[in-house]
Amino acid sequence: MLLARMAEAVYWAGRHLERAEGTARIVQVHTDTHVDLPVGEDVGWEPLLAIVGVHSEFAERYSAAAEAGDTAAAEEDVVEFLLHGDGNASSILSAVAAGRENLRTARPVVPREAWEASNNLWLACSDHMDEVKSRQGRVQWLRRVIAGCQRINGILLGTMSRDEAMSFLSIGQNLERADLTTRVLDVRSESLHSQHGDDPYDVVHWMAVLRSLAAYQPFRRAMPARPQGGATLRFLLQDDRFPRAVSACLTETRSHLKQLARSEAALEACATASMVVASAAVPRLALDGLEEFLDEVQVALDAIHLRIDETYFRPSFVDWHAQSEAS
Amino acid sequence: MATSLTSGRPNTLGVELPDLPVAPENGPDPVLEPWPSYNPGQFYDEMVGPDGAPRPAAEILWRHFAELGPEALAERQRAADREMRAIGVTFTVYEGTTGVDRPWPFDIIPRVVPADEWHVIESGLVQRLNALNLFIDDVYHDQRSVSSGVVPSELVAGSPNFRRECVGVDPPGGIWAHICGSDLIRDADGTVYVLEDNLRVPSGVSYLLENRMVAKHVFPEMFLHYSIEPVDPYIGRLADLLASVSPAPGDPTIVVLTPGVYNSAYFEHAFLAQQLGVELVEGSDLAVLDDDCVYARTIDGLERVDVIYRRIDDLFLDPEVFRPDSLLGVPGLIRAWRSGRVALVNAPGAGIADDKKVYSYVPDIIRFFLGEEPILATVPTLRCSDLESLEFVRANIGRMVVKPANESGGYGVLVGPQATADQLAHASQQIEDDPKRWVAQPVIPLSTAPTLCAGEVAPRHVDLRPFTLLGPERAYVTRGGLTRVARRKGSLVVNSSQGGGSKDTWVVDTTGPAPSGGPAPAAPPSRGHPGEPIA
Repeated sequence: MLLARMAEAVYWAGRHLERAEGTARIVQVHTDTHVDLPVGEDVGWEPLLAIVGVHSEFAERYSAAAEAGDTAAAEEDVVEFLLHGDGNASSILSAVAAGRENLRTARPVVPREAWEASNNLWLACSDHMDEVKSRQGRVQWLRRVIAGCQRINGILLGTMSRDEAMSFLSIGQNLERADLTTRVLDVRSESLHSQHGDDPYDVVHWMAVLRSLAAYQPFRRAMPARPQGGATLRFLLQDDRFPRAVSACLTETRSHLKQLARSEAALEACATASMVVASAAVPRLALDGLEEFLDEVQVALDAIHLRIDETYFRPSFVDWHAQSEAS
Repeated sequence: MATSLTSGRPNTLGVELPDLPVAPENGPDPVLEPWPSYNPGQFYDEMVGPDGAPRPAAEILWRHFAELGPEALAERQRAADREMRAIGVTFTVYEGTTGVDRPWPFDIIPRVVPADEWHVIESGLVQRLNALNLFIDDVYHDQRSVSSGVVPSELVAGSPNFRRECVGVDPPGGIWAHICGSDLIRDADGTVYVLEDNLRVPSGVSYLLENRMVAKHVFPEMFLHYSIEPVDPYIGRLADLLASVSPAPGDPTIVVLTPGVYNSAYFEHAFLAQQLGVELVEGSDLAVLDDDCVYARTIDGLERVDVIYRRIDDLFLDPEVFRPDSLLGVPGLIRAWRSGRVALVNAPGAGIADDKKVYSYVPDIIRFFLGEEPILATVPTLRCSDLESLEFVRANIGRMVVKPANESGGYGVLVGPQATADQLAHASQQIEDDPKRWVAQPVIPLSTAPTLCAGEVAPRHVDLRPFTLLGPERAYVTRGGLTRVARRKGSLVVNSSQGGGSKDTWVVDTTGPAPSGGPAPAAPPSRGHPGEPIA
């Protein structure tokens, strides 16, 4: 037996912890890349806000600085906001806290060590919050987040039964991963379009895209090409073996949905999303229409979430009762 | 050891009020290493005898601490604190309306109890719980205990814990209170008393189990040298008990029902569900349908629930029957339980037997239902509803403990010798305003145990909460229990909601392995009379 409420808690635990790790990687890589680019080529820190989707929240919180004529968002403000900012429900710290809270609720259905690891991660993050003011301290802190999330994943892989709870957790994780990958592509492509094809820093930018998704080495091994638009897009969208490629995330999601009863609607949504991704006309997309295409993928991902939500989490006693009367 | 037990003024009520032993200043009469200035004075100390030498069962531990030295001990305490924090053992205290999660306070110096003494306590607890269950069943059926004059009728009829909805119900095996958390204390002369029988939703067992786990990591070497009784079997026995009361044949579906994540004992609820391998449900996860069965809302639809280990108080269980404003409960739950389609552990209405007025009748209840003498002592208790008692309590309030008859968790308790004149006057007034709400007892000078306080090891007062399980087929008592310790010098209040700490409790066999299934050993340490073990 798996309570609907527990299923929902593990699903969200998967999503939040994945979001924490993903955001940490993105901030980490952006910090590294920033150092490599000469002044002028620098894309600033705003793209990070767009990836996480907290542009307007940030503007609200830091409007004073903007009004004072300080147009470019300052590094420390953006980083502070993304890591632990007040008013940012999507901050890394909030995601870690929400992941822990959900695992706490779901304690009876997840391995004890996984809950403990998430508790430790949260304690380590909040205990060392004052370190993140310096770039060096920030690197340590982000590493801690990534390592903490990996530890939880390792515990789950190594000790959790492949039961329904595990399926919901993995589905949450894979949907969040796919979503993050599309967001990174979305925002990066925007800044890349504004530049010309032969930009000497083009490769640096695409390398940054790959690195923020931990995809650089797998890309190198899988693709003969240099990391440029077309090849990168194909890899991050359509590769079936790299676990953060959208296509691979959907394959995983499908296999977990198949373990669950009554998953027809969600499976159908999953198939639709896979079809959208497979139909992508790369490399042409790299030049034109990428934004619209990624929107389409995000809508398709969201549809899977909605089907899962209405199939498993939402139905009330009344709904179930009506269903059994009808059948 | 000079105790003053006989120096109290005798009176017609038969209650003695001895002078409390005075806590000594550290110094003149040093006992042996490892803590030269450790001196419990006239209190009974759990580790050190009156001659200053360790008690036999604690000797190995005592020597070990002497070898370890104070710094290593402090480091191990820090390691234990880190581990408690890391594994997320917390309890919630309420400051105003906000609950704050606090790390569970654990003192690493264990309390040692000799196994032969424990076996007597064990039999005493099982005897008590058997008798209390017979009493509860009687209350909701024939009330023979009332008609025979064992307890006065107003004790039952006038109790806020009497549930008329329970009249005539026959829970499996006639058992109402399956799980009991008893509070044991020890007097200056070594007598062990039962101070409270908690029969509603007693908590603390998760802390007992976690304390042991951390203790094993802190003193791994001790577990090699000592034969320490394990506490882990509790979970298996609890699982067996829950399955044994299921109304349905076959593999029962068991759940733990919690008020939710904001409840002060939520940690324990989640812990138990996890250890039992069952679901942790809130009221909103359950519903009672037209067939009077209880169902859980799962990902695959509605699934029938057979046994509910409920951790919600009676009055919040079912808004159709009890408090209509309760959002924690399940409408129709009592209907389902009455019709025998679901088992509730503990059964509603069990609280009739654990209020502090009933407490004073327990020795008579044991004699009446079991025809045995009580194995464990009960603290003499005056009911202020009785005029003679009321006068006595008012005259002696400064030398007694005054308690509301229906509270738990140490709320509202006044310890006379430690109260200010204002507090005494206020309590005296409260008692006069509503005498039947109050009971009073002589102050028992609780025993002490060595406790780490700000780097020093000092005597602090302790009690002990073991857990007893009673099913239709068998009884089980945890080996040892949760030792609670008052961390403030001289304080007698050990409740964690009032700032108390905890210790691991080691039931130690110093005579070699006990013959399995053997009878309880010889002389009990208590004033009570030994009886045959029930288990």
